[in-house]
Amino acid sequence: MFWKSKPLWGSKTRLKSNYDAVIIGGGLHGLATAYYLAKEHGITDVAIIEKRFIGFGGAGRNTAIVRANQRTQYNVPLYKEALDLWPVLTKELDYNLMFNNCGNLNLMHSEAAMKSARMTIATAQFHGVESHLIDAKQAKELVPALNISEDITFPIHGAMFHPPGGIVRHDAVVWGLAKGAAKHGVHIHQHTEATAIHTEGGKITGVTTSRGRIHTPRVLISAGGYSAGLIYQMLGIKLPIAVLTIQAMVTQPLKPLLDHVVSSGAYHCYANQTLKGEIATGAHMDQWPNYTTQNTAHYIKHQAEALSDWLPCLRGVKFMRIWGGLADMTPDMAPIMDGNDHIEGFYMDCGWGYFGFKSCSAVGKYMAQFMASGNCPDMLKPFNLRRYENHQLMGETAELVSYTPNN
Amino acid sequence: MNRLNQLPTLRITPSEKLSLNYRGKTVQGVAGDTVATALYANGVRVFARSLKYHRPRGLYSLDGECSNTCMDVNGVPNVRTENTLLKDGMVVKEQNVKGSADRDWLAFIDKLDWMMPAGFYYKTMHKPAAVWPVAMKQIRKAAGIGVISADYQMRGQYDEMFVKAEVTVIGGGAAGMSAALAAAESGQRVVLLESRPHLGGCFDYRVSTTAEGTPLYQRARELAKQVEQTGNIRTFKHTSMVGAYNNNLITAFQVGGATDAFTERYIEIRSDSVVVATGCIERPLIFDHNERPGVMQVGCAHRMARTYGLLPGSEAVFSVGHDLGLEAAVDLFDLGLKINCVADIREDGQNPELMLALAERKIPVLKGWVAAKAHGGKKVEKVTLSTVEGTVNRQFPCDLLVASAGLTPVTGPFILAQAKMGYDSLTGYFLPTTVPEKMFPAGRLTGVNDPAAIEASGRLAGLKAATAAGADMGNLVAAAEKAAASLPGPQRGCKLVTAPVKGRKSFICFDEDTTIKNIKQAIEMGFDVPELIKRFTSAGTGPGQGGIPGHNLPLFVAKYTASINTPVPTTVRPPLVPTFLATYAGYNHHMFKHTPLHDSQIKDGGIFRNIGVWQRARYFSDDFDCKEEILNVRNNVGILDGSTLGKFRIHGPDALKALQRVYVSDMSKLKPGRIKYSAMCNDDGCVIDDGVVVKLRENDYYLTTSSARAGQTVEWIRYHTRFDGWDFSLVNLTDAMGVINISGPNSGKVLAKVIDIDLSSEAFPFSGYQEFTLKDAIFVRAMRLGFVGELSYELHVPASYTQAVWDMLKEAGAEFGIRNFGVEAQNVLRMEKCHVILGSESEQRTNLLDLGLGFLWDRKKADAKTVGAVALRQAEKDVGRLKLVGIRMEDDNRPARDGALIVDNKVRGYVATMRKSFSTGQAVGMALVESQLADTGTRLEIFEDECNGVRLYARVVAMPFYDPKGERMKS
Amino acid sequence: MALILTCPVCGKRNGYEFRYGGEDKGPRPAEAGLTPAAWCDYVHMNKCTAGVLKEWWFHRDGCGSWFTTWRDTTKNLEVAQPEASK
Repeated sequence: MFWKSKPLWGSKTRLKSNYDAVIIGGGLHGLATAYYLAKEHGITDVAIIEKRFIGFGGAGRNTAIVRANQRTQYNVPLYKEALDLWPVLTKELDYNLMFNNCGNLNLMHSEAAMKSARMTIATAQFHGVESHLIDAKQAKELVPALNISEDITFPIHGAMFHPPGGIVRHDAVVWGLAKGAAKHGVHIHQHTEATAIHTEGGKITGVTTSRGRIHTPRVLISAGGYSAGLIYQMLGIKLPIAVLTIQAMVTQPLKPLLDHVVSSGAYHCYANQTLKGEIATGAHMDQWPNYTTQNTAHYIKHQAEALSDWLPCLRGVKFMRIWGGLADMTPDMAPIMDGNDHIEGFYMDCGWGYFGFKSCSAVGKYMAQFMASGNCPDMLKPFNLRRYENHQLMGETAELVSYTPNN
Repeated sequence: MNRLNQLPTLRITPSEKLSLNYRGKTVQGVAGDTVATALYANGVRVFARSLKYHRPRGLYSLDGECSNTCMDVNGVPNVRTENTLLKDGMVVKEQNVKGSADRDWLAFIDKLDWMMPAGFYYKTMHKPAAVWPVAMKQIRKAAGIGVISADYQMRGQYDEMFVKAEVTVIGGGAAGMSAALAAAESGQRVVLLESRPHLGGCFDYRVSTTAEGTPLYQRARELAKQVEQTGNIRTFKHTSMVGAYNNNLITAFQVGGATDAFTERYIEIRSDSVVVATGCIERPLIFDHNERPGVMQVGCAHRMARTYGLLPGSEAVFSVGHDLGLEAAVDLFDLGLKINCVADIREDGQNPELMLALAERKIPVLKGWVAAKAHGGKKVEKVTLSTVEGTVNRQFPCDLLVASAGLTPVTGPFILAQAKMGYDSLTGYFLPTTVPEKMFPAGRLTGVNDPAAIEASGRLAGLKAATAAGADMGNLVAAAEKAAASLPGPQRGCKLVTAPVKGRKSFICFDEDTTIKNIKQAIEMGFDVPELIKRFTSAGTGPGQGGIPGHNLPLFVAKYTASINTPVPTTVRPPLVPTFLATYAGYNHHMFKHTPLHDSQIKDGGIFRNIGVWQRARYFSDDFDCKEEILNVRNNVGILDGSTLGKFRIHGPDALKALQRVYVSDMSKLKPGRIKYSAMCNDDGCVIDDGVVVKLRENDYYLTTSSARAGQTVEWIRYHTRFDGWDFSLVNLTDAMGVINISGPNSGKVLAKVIDIDLSSEAFPFSGYQEFTLKDAIFVRAMRLGFVGELSYELHVPASYTQAVWDMLKEAGAEFGIRNFGVEAQNVLRMEKCHVILGSESEQRTNLLDLGLGFLWDRKKADAKTVGAVALRQAEKDVGRLKLVGIRMEDDNRPARDGALIVDNKVRGYVATMRKSFSTGQAVGMALVESQLADTGTRLEIFEDECNGVRLYARVVAMPFYDPKGERMKS
Repeated sequence: MALILTCPVCGKRNGYEFRYGGEDKGPRPAEAGLTPAAWCDYVHMNKCTAGVLKEWWFHRDGCGSWFTTWRDTTKNLEVAQPEASK
């Protein structure tokens, strides 16, 4: 043994009755915000209130893909910064986040998809993010297991290749950020449930938890899929969110087969190989709201059918484990980051759908800035809640909205 | 190795020889063998090397609870050879070895474990940063077990089956069979699932007897016979249950036998109630080198002898914590195994008859003793036994160490079905505290061990399940309850997890090489919940699906932390048994809709694309610019299969009200026999559909939608009228009608040859509608429209006649040189006319006004509560919205590519569609740009992908680009 | 999860035959004097209840009816209409 085991994110502490800031939700966004509040803004008297254990929710259930090839100019810079932060955080936190910068391939299955990929690629290139349109043959050179024949449901026309993306070990980010936050004095209270938020004269005054009452002038709700329900229940603010169950699964571990993250919108499916060798794959959501993390028989079968088409060698591989998590979807597929508006001292960071992991580092940085100053940083301004009543949906998805559950 | 060929319990056919290829050599097994037992019979003891430390691994559970015997079989990686039936000619290889499993060059890694404490990856290899990419490559190579080649093609037939029953019983042991038989008494349909190739469960290989003196294996065969003779029990053997979902949906897969038409079969069963009779597996005993080849569980050693006729060793030591271990010792002794010692963890509580039997055979028994260390390199040679407290040690030579701490119930089905699990301090099991609705436990997983009690609990569960499924079982349930209560109930279970060792080489998870020491390290670092420890140490996340550590981990954590009074169970996830993607995929049909003209479009050389739910001909040219197709429509006549268009009829007293609700235009002004083009918006005012409405007669309309929306139109109209109680009927005719579009200046001449109605512009003007009958038989709805900007007719024909009408038109048009055109040519033709395609020239944010279609909106019909009107009014004056404009490149020879951006220092919009127009010679297209750039004449800067800083320029121009006055399509 | 819903016309059917139609918010508000915020509240905003919810469903692969039913979002199970909401 060349080091001693000691508690990674501080010993268990008692819950104080006063904090400068309270963060509800011990997931990636909450931990990152706490970390930056303490490190960059000197606000170290911060409590993270987590009902289960840190990383219980989406933080531990996502498939760890990171990328910065979003569709709009509001999103690309934010995700680019998040992407650039992985090596920085690895060093700062002195914790190996295992960033595997393997690049992402997003398959295109029609002329129309190639056209929309071109727009996304141009947007990336305009913002200095590397991304290229490649044809099916080039895609096959990158991923030899791809089936580029014509006789599958959605023949592959080409792909959007995004070399700066990749995979990060999601659990490591949780534990690394917890370690970093605790080092700067943040209290992480696990197995503690926030049950009420108190306001007086339009200002935040405190939070009641299962372990006692806290006085505080600032509260952030960043509880992933649980945020929207909590915000309505505690503060009566309704959000344009539908909480859906999203599923992912892994195969048995294999020696290296996929050197890139590959995804397909038409098949509703992505696949990448973890450092352990498992093929991680997923993406399906039942299109109605749920707070259960159960998975479905319907989906694991669908996923096998999809992969049988475009990664046919995997037919000889076995699924080992499937799980579910929550995705809080907004109508325009873009998050809601807002605060100090409806209630003074109240901040929210939600509606991430399935983008919460890839954004967490940069969002923590800017939400901390927001909470420390009370003023919304320019980077976050487009993500305000009022855009929906102002008919300014963000256009992160091109798909026409009909209604529900996204509308 | 000689087989015990005469045992009545055998499940092999010793006379039927099969061969397999192992490491290039041919090896013999017999029918009924698993791959692993055949190898074992040929002296193979080391089957694989472990994931991290490359430790030798051997046969341990015989039920696939760990990856010890996972091998490559016929190119398929990670096959659990211990429960894969041997087939003649199989090719079997070891995995994760450099060299062979016996002599692995990487075995030295086992000595480096001190460098790899729990979570060491997280703390190392990132300083300096340049190290990580190099280290990662090595980690990737070292990780993973099996190999699959990128071009691997899985062979076999994969079937799927969807079954309905009243009662499903999971587990074909004595309890499961009793449950199935009891439930079947109701006359209901019963499904029985058994993972092994034969029924019998834990009775199948045991010679101890029932109270009546029948050997258990014989009793199991009697029950199996009854099951097979019961017509309403459908038995699936060699079928592993893999998923349980709410509303009692069960999934499973079956392995095909020699006479089955399938290799594997995916099965989905919907039943009203479920009996879980999955029994117990063994809880591993943890001590130093507890996974050396030669260490195996009780059931494994016992079944090796009784089921496969293979005595697993010559000289054995037993270290066990339950009576099944003593029973096995007695029986294996009688079959010829030398037993040097039986150490029983329990001080007392043993079955006295078994103790007597051991004494009669002069087998030494140590009570309160446990194995502390297995000695030997590639296989066990000696064992150190110690008292449970670790005070005294003794060593015994052996080549077989039968080790088992206790039993652990297979509760996976309950956990998957969302049962809350709680710790039962009597048995030491995690048992469901709240059982999911209509789900019933039976047999050994309820804690009973007595054979009669096992059967009685099965009968009771079966009767309850039938009752829950609606049968009236009279007082049978009460009688069965009474019978079960009179038999021995749950027994106290042994709770010891580890021998008194430090745990550096004591493995709690074999698949991931996780030791007791690793678990301690994790707990000290703050990971004090079993689920978190799993994530941090990977324990229980390997191919064995947690079978080895599942029960021990929470027990150990509870003990070690001492802060939690009761152990917290870990969760399990489907599939409970790893399942091939090929099996889940089943038939994997590709399903697309074909138009009535599909075959003729193929014959005419169409190049198809899958578009939405349809297959459509996109090109009739090798030149994907489609120049010839396009010019033929502009100058002559072209014909297009438009059958994918959505087609609906709405009629009834309130039909008009419904139309007024969903369309932005005022449909009350529409006259019979006339057509109105209009659009539908959503509640944000964004356009979701466009098409035409024909008024056939009072209260009767025919309407078309875009192909993509056809599937949602009924639900859309019904949704937006759901509070009104209006009386109208809505029929989707999309698949019932084919559509032929004939376009071009000569289209009228062609049509005139086929029909004899007046086609003059006076009789059949632009936007006009006609009905006629062809050949006295074919009813045709004809519309004169102009999507492509020429004289154009759209004929709606019953699907079965569409081909006939098409053929007539093709024949009539031959003299003019009529030719097919496809979707891409249509796309360019309509683009020149600036007719939008939703989703192409619009996106989620684009409202009716943004598209320049505001003229369609009738603001005066407020009573209609038109969908979208509220938002359109609110957004009308907003600035900065993306507006659709026509643009022309400054260089007509360089059209921008679709998707290019309009920029200044920010993104201001993008090019929706642009082509070099063959009709006008200009590079023109449509773009969505911010409103301040939308004025005609504005110069636009275009940023294309891969432009290397070189910008293109265009100007906003008037729309449309071709025939601006519409003379060609209207005259 | 295996959702089963009770269609008022077709009875109990596999959940995948249906299309979800949103939380029940009642008929659309009167248009006179409607503010953008109020309209947005009706169109987009949800309560996101973790528990029993009254919601709209459409029997897409069946009779084509819209109907409301009650479902527990923490279990993905249809439930009988709770007393309090009758």
